[in-house]
Amino acid sequence: MKTNILGIYEDEDVLLHAIDKLQADGIVVADVYSPFPIHGIWSRLKLTTRLPYATFVYGAVGAVAIFMMLYWMSVVSYPLKFGGKPLNTLSFIIIMFVGTIFIGTLLTFLTYLGREKMFPGKQVVLPDPRSTEDKFVLVIANTEDMNDQETKHLMKMLKETGATEIKESTVNDHE
Amino acid sequence: MDKKVQLSGKFKLIMLVMIVLGVISVIAGFVTDNGTRTWANLLLNNYYFLSIAMGALFWMAIQAVTQSGWSAAYLRIPQAMSNYLIVSFVLFALMFLGVHDLYHWTHADAVAQDPLLQHKAPYLNLPFFALRFVVFFGLWIFLTYRIKSLSLREDKVGGVAYFSKIEFSSKVFIFVFAFSFSLFSIDWLMSLDPHWYSTIYVVKKFISAFFHGVAAIAAIAIILRKLGYLPMLTKEHIANFSRYIFALSIIWAYMWLSQYLLIWYANIPEETIYYVPREMGEYKTMFYTELLVNWAFPFLFLMWNRVAKNENLVLFAVLVLIVGQWVELYMSIMPSIELKHAISLIEVGTFIGFTGLFGLVTGYSLSKMPLIPKNHPYLLESTTEEHF
Repeated sequence: MKTNILGIYEDEDVLLHAIDKLQADGIVVADVYSPFPIHGIWSRLKLTTRLPYATFVYGAVGAVAIFMMLYWMSVVSYPLKFGGKPLNTLSFIIIMFVGTIFIGTLLTFLTYLGREKMFPGKQVVLPDPRSTEDKFVLVIANTEDMNDQETKHLMKMLKETGATEIKESTVNDHE
Repeated sequence: MDKKVQLSGKFKLIMLVMIVLGVISVIAGFVTDNGTRTWANLLLNNYYFLSIAMGALFWMAIQAVTQSGWSAAYLRIPQAMSNYLIVSFVLFALMFLGVHDLYHWTHADAVAQDPLLQHKAPYLNLPFFALRFVVFFGLWIFLTYRIKSLSLREDKVGGVAYFSKIEFSSKVFIFVFAFSFSLFSIDWLMSLDPHWYSTIYVVKKFISAFFHGVAAIAAIAIILRKLGYLPMLTKEHIANFSRYIFALSIIWAYMWLSQYLLIWYANIPEETIYYVPREMGEYKTMFYTELLVNWAFPFLFLMWNRVAKNENLVLFAVLVLIVGQWVELYMSIMPSIELKHAISLIEVGTFIGFTGLFGLVTGYSLSKMPLIPKNHPYLLESTTEEHF
């Protein structure tokens, strides 16, 4: 069975310095759960995402799609001239602008939910539920492979870097 | 921490040569031309560098009001630009010599025959015009000088008292700026076409000043880092600057469209006339260039995260935007003066001259005070924390 070791911290600055020290020691920090986003976690854990590229594609597709819709509606299907303006008109831009934002945002959001396997009403799986209140939870993954000496060293490092509590957890999505 | 910028002799020499080039260009302009075009050119350059300085100072005020941490180390750059306001005041005052060449409404005989100009006369008349000019510059110089001297005193004394004083002065400055810079733009730019008016015009000019002012701060910060000053300028700071530029490019395009689309759609002759020489005549290429360099390029270029964090690429984007502000003002001023589109060496030379002057004044002011506000409460956050 896979187990993780959790170090629970009280303060985000202590946590950030703890990550630095642990990584300097060669310990891989798998994840951090915190009540709010913390500057610096992103670069320290070397997280990457391709989500912005998806957003760009959705936005571009959205602009084209909205343009095609407007073009079909006011040029092909129901060509009604008013105000002496051309049928294929500049005022499309406003709806294209708004539609691009809407489609880009909505599809990005859905992609995010899909990638994270989330949906409304899903039971949240947290290694420690207090990470939604006032605790910062640092996860060291797959510690079942460690021998006693390594585990002891890890415990010591966590304690030294300011963890107020150390515990094991079997909640696992850090492959 | 008390490090000051050392101006090299080479820098001073280059700037002086540029100023001399500018003076020669202006004289050449007056000799070869009837004067109107040269006055318009001087107005363009005067307004250009005033808007850069004012946009940068507005950015500084925003940092104080929002109590931003990341920017604390870069506040001296806009503070140095505030000294240019005094130079700008003198140069604008000289513009009064050419006021009859530029502004149709200053001719008493023209006003006598024109009911619309008579209707506007209580606002558009020379004494009130001059009074507004003096009051606005007085307010700007006073408020920015106050913020700067408070910041310099904070360097010596420390504590948070000056921080909140600067914040209060910045709030006052923002309100004064919004009101006075709008009227200033109406006075000096929009009244070139006294029959035409647009409410969104001043908003666009204000956004444009803010946009290009921030770009200028970013460029100066990057150049100073390359020269060995400001070692704390990290990728995250550059990303923050380019975020400002990116967002403002969208707002700029929004304002551009707001003005253009409404006039195009309503198609009222008195309003549409403004765009006829700009879009239909000789200025057609410049009309599209304005949109391309100020919106399309920064929007598509700075969108990429890797570009936005790379100092050389951001510097390149700023150089394009420096041309962009010039094109924007060229399109505001020149089609109102004459229908012929011509950019000659005189225009280029004058711009080089003003750049030299602005560079010299800003550089000299930077060298007179510590580059980093060492007792700013957020300095530690600015220099050590990461900002995403």
